Amino acid sequence: MAEISMALRDEFSPHAHIDHDTNTGISNTKLGMWVFLASECLLFGGLITTYLLYKTPVAGEGPSPKQVYDLGFTSVSSFLLLMSSLTMVLAVAAIERGDHHRLRTWLAATALLGSTFVAGQVYEFTAFVHEGMGYTTSRSSSAFYTLTGFHGVHVTVGIIMLVSLLILSLRGKLPEHRAETVEVVGLYWHFVDVVWIVIFGVVYLIP
Amino acid sequence: MALTEPQPLALPAGDGSAAFEPLGVLSRPVRPKQKWRTWLFTVDHKRIGVMYGTAAIFFFVIGGCEALLIRAQLWSPRGTLLSAETYNQVFTMHGTTMVFLVVMPVGAAFANYLMPLQIGARDVAFPRINAFSFWCFLAGGLFLQTSWLFGGGADGGWFNYAPNSGVVFSPGHGIDYWNLGLIIAGVASLTGAINLIVTVLNLRCPGMDLFKMPIFTWMTLVTQFLLLFAIPVLTCAQFLLMFDRLFHANFFNVQSGGNPLLWENLFWVFGHPEVYLMILPAFGLVSEMLPVFARKPIFGYSFIVWSGIAIGFMGWGVWAHHMFVSGIGPISVTTFSLTTMFIAVPTGVKILNWTATLWGGKLHFTSPMLFSIGLITMFTIGGLSGVTHSIAPADTQQHDTYYIVAHFHYVLFGGAFFGFMGAFYFYWPKVFGYLLNERLGKTNFWVMLLGFNLTFAPMHVLGLQGMSRRIYTYDGGYGFDFWNKVCTIGAFILAFSVAMFIFNIFYSKVKAKSLPPPGPDPWDARTIEWMTPSPTPEWNYDPIPTVTRLDEFWYRKYADTEDHRLVRIHSLEEVAQHSDGEGVHLPSPSYWPIIAAFSLPIIAYGLIYTLWLCLVGGLVLTVAIFGWALEPPDAPGGGHGDEHGPDDAHGEAGELESGASGSDTADETSGAEAGADAKEVETVG
Amino acid sequence: MPTDLSDHAEAIPTNVLDGAVEEYPREKLYVWVAIFLAAVTWIEVMTYLKPGWFGNVDTRIATLLFLMAIKFFTVAYVFMHLKFDRKMLTVIFYSGLGLAVVVYVAILTMLNVWYPGHPHP
Repeated sequence: MAEISMALRDEFSPHAHIDHDTNTGISNTKLGMWVFLASECLLFGGLITTYLLYKTPVAGEGPSPKQVYDLGFTSVSSFLLLMSSLTMVLAVAAIERGDHHRLRTWLAATALLGSTFVAGQVYEFTAFVHEGMGYTTSRSSSAFYTLTGFHGVHVTVGIIMLVSLLILSLRGKLPEHRAETVEVVGLYWHFVDVVWIVIFGVVYLIP
Repeated sequence: MALTEPQPLALPAGDGSAAFEPLGVLSRPVRPKQKWRTWLFTVDHKRIGVMYGTAAIFFFVIGGCEALLIRAQLWSPRGTLLSAETYNQVFTMHGTTMVFLVVMPVGAAFANYLMPLQIGARDVAFPRINAFSFWCFLAGGLFLQTSWLFGGGADGGWFNYAPNSGVVFSPGHGIDYWNLGLIIAGVASLTGAINLIVTVLNLRCPGMDLFKMPIFTWMTLVTQFLLLFAIPVLTCAQFLLMFDRLFHANFFNVQSGGNPLLWENLFWVFGHPEVYLMILPAFGLVSEMLPVFARKPIFGYSFIVWSGIAIGFMGWGVWAHHMFVSGIGPISVTTFSLTTMFIAVPTGVKILNWTATLWGGKLHFTSPMLFSIGLITMFTIGGLSGVTHSIAPADTQQHDTYYIVAHFHYVLFGGAFFGFMGAFYFYWPKVFGYLLNERLGKTNFWVMLLGFNLTFAPMHVLGLQGMSRRIYTYDGGYGFDFWNKVCTIGAFILAFSVAMFIFNIFYSKVKAKSLPPPGPDPWDARTIEWMTPSPTPEWNYDPIPTVTRLDEFWYRKYADTEDHRLVRIHSLEEVAQHSDGEGVHLPSPSYWPIIAAFSLPIIAYGLIYTLWLCLVGGLVLTVAIFGWALEPPDAPGGGHGDEHGPDDAHGEAGELESGASGSDTADETSGAEAGADAKEVETVG
Repeated sequence: MPTDLSDHAEAIPTNVLDGAVEEYPREKLYVWVAIFLAAVTWIEVMTYLKPGWFGNVDTRIATLLFLMAIKFFTVAYVFMHLKFDRKMLTVIFYSGLGLAVVVYVAILTMLNVWYPGHPHP
């Protein structure tokens, strides 16, 4: 195991880069990611607020979002995204143990679940448009698509990061002492999931 | 540049072949041949700070010209210099430029240059992101200004209320430029905030606890948190507006039930913390200057720090005082009226503490001191008019009149900008290695003070007499004529004082050749940044100091005797750093930040004119991000973007050898290396 | 050292983890937590499949908000390691979250969203 780790270590990567070098004991990247996630709360909060304000369209401007939802379908895709948080944290645990094979498996699983979620959203939105709720139809439709669209873009960016990590690992450039990188991407991914937990509750479920 | 290259570059530009093939496509521009390239690709926080300051002064001149146009138009009733439409654009762009492209960047300039020095760091936590923030701000600012060339500037006021800002009422592209330009600048502010927060929390030198940090660093930290949380709210509002204008969404479409108050609320939730983040850096700078020129420590350090934090918190609870006349209802009005009154308290605490700092001190009225006292007095006037606004019934008369214009110019110009001017004079020798001429500086202050008060004091009167703001002209016979003329004369005197400052820069530079260099500590100052040579060398400190108390540098020079006298214990020669940066490793420059930053205006032009440009810009951005992420880090100890704190002592090369006084870092070197080795053992197998 | 879900999986030493002050959970715990989250989701789904179980609309809304909070904080504490890391991260994240909730609830209150049709406050 030691030999494998040494071979995977590259001179260009930082090692022993955590804890002792920073005042807080948290690496710059991890601290930076949490600071960023705190700010993202304000962004998504604004979009959720806009949706809550505009929940119902004015009369004559198409169906309200509630009327077109397929809660069963959305529940399934939400569940998949939730489970992708599990696969993500398993990936992080894997690299912390130095198990690169499992890291890649779980990374791939997370990316796959995330992609299924996004595909599900695309399918869902296409259906909504056919049912008469397009982006410009009403204030509620604009608010709904903007909120979920922003979230979807965040998920997509997350998937790109996961796939990049997967490729890096396959090429041997994601050694064990860079577990922090995977963890930080994981934090982003969990946050995106957590935002969806709120959106699913507030936008879809609450009557 | 004293960079060491223990690792060969992987590409032909270097020598030898690397044992490892990095994924980066381009080598990092480590030793550019031309000087201008060192600026374009720099990641050094000091250079970035200087660039922020230079850009801000450039935009200040633009905004100032817009101000002069306004004042010229208002010289007499029914002025004919500007049409109503043009006037609307001029005052909108004046406000937007001054707020987003002048005051905020000057704050960023000082935060970038000074804060890492004050905490004893070598650079910020993410040097490339730092560079990106600057270029992003510049790209957004320039993009915004190009609106003048492509159909006119935004014309809905700097706050661009909906639905006036929609395509129905503002069909031209000016507001699109405003919107997109500020979104881009917002990205700059947000990334900068993350960077600086992590820097203050993580990269302080040994012994620098949070409550031993200089006040400017504290104010910077609070400011960055304000930015961190306020910018996303504005970004949200701006995306809503953008989707309305470009994609026909219905957020502010009144016929579809769009609520204009949504924009107002979101904008002012951002807008109020915004004004606090404009003033707090200046408060911090003044807190640095006053003790130096009163030869006394700052009075009530913890009060000033906590009141700064309090302002940061309470600033979030007052936004609707900008909306007293928007029909929000009596309960909301009362609530926000009360909260606004309360927020005067922490600011008052600061004013009292500054005054107490001066009291009984041995005062030296240098230019920085004059400007600092200017801030205290002018800001107090502006703050008092602010308190009158907090009384909602009174505000109902004051709103949309020149009384408000007087208030915010007193706090922003008389407050923030005077503070910045003082800090320019104060820190100029440290940054550039020569002192600005003192006589010119003092004259500069008095002319600026005169011009400023002539311009804005009469506006209190005009406002209460009923002169409306944001209107391109007024009729004779209302009694406005005389004071408007006074304001206009004042504005030109003010412009002259700005010209004096710019002249002073070049004049002093020429004169400096025949003067002795100012040395590290021309003002006999208190904080550790004055230990370094002037201008500050690229590596900042060598060695990184260990701090034992507040005002560390002062107490290395002086000691208090039992009978409360100050006694010099070390000469400047002994305590200043004579560093050569030998063995210090610094983050390498990079191409990607500037490329990534300038892809954003391409996307923005694409959104306005043709989506193909969006594609191009998007591709450039994607390439830039991947290039950045996969860029070869400079050397062991340098990371994929993060600079690992002050003691880059880990790493096989063990490059940090401080030959001279090693006591500060020798212990950390061996300690960190021992820790690093121990950790390696644990992670393996 | 292969990852496994059995009881004798070793804990990862805290000092090689970034900012950790407590041991991170073993993989097994993560799986149990995920099952818990699945169960909570099932209850949420029941609020629209079997609304009768939950009484009137207000109780349903309260239940959904409560369940949503449980899921949110579970993911934040366990999967994002807030419980096991230094407190500073929790403080930073909660400041953003708390500020967002307070400010946006205030805005929605000012815009009279909770009781539409009632007179403006």
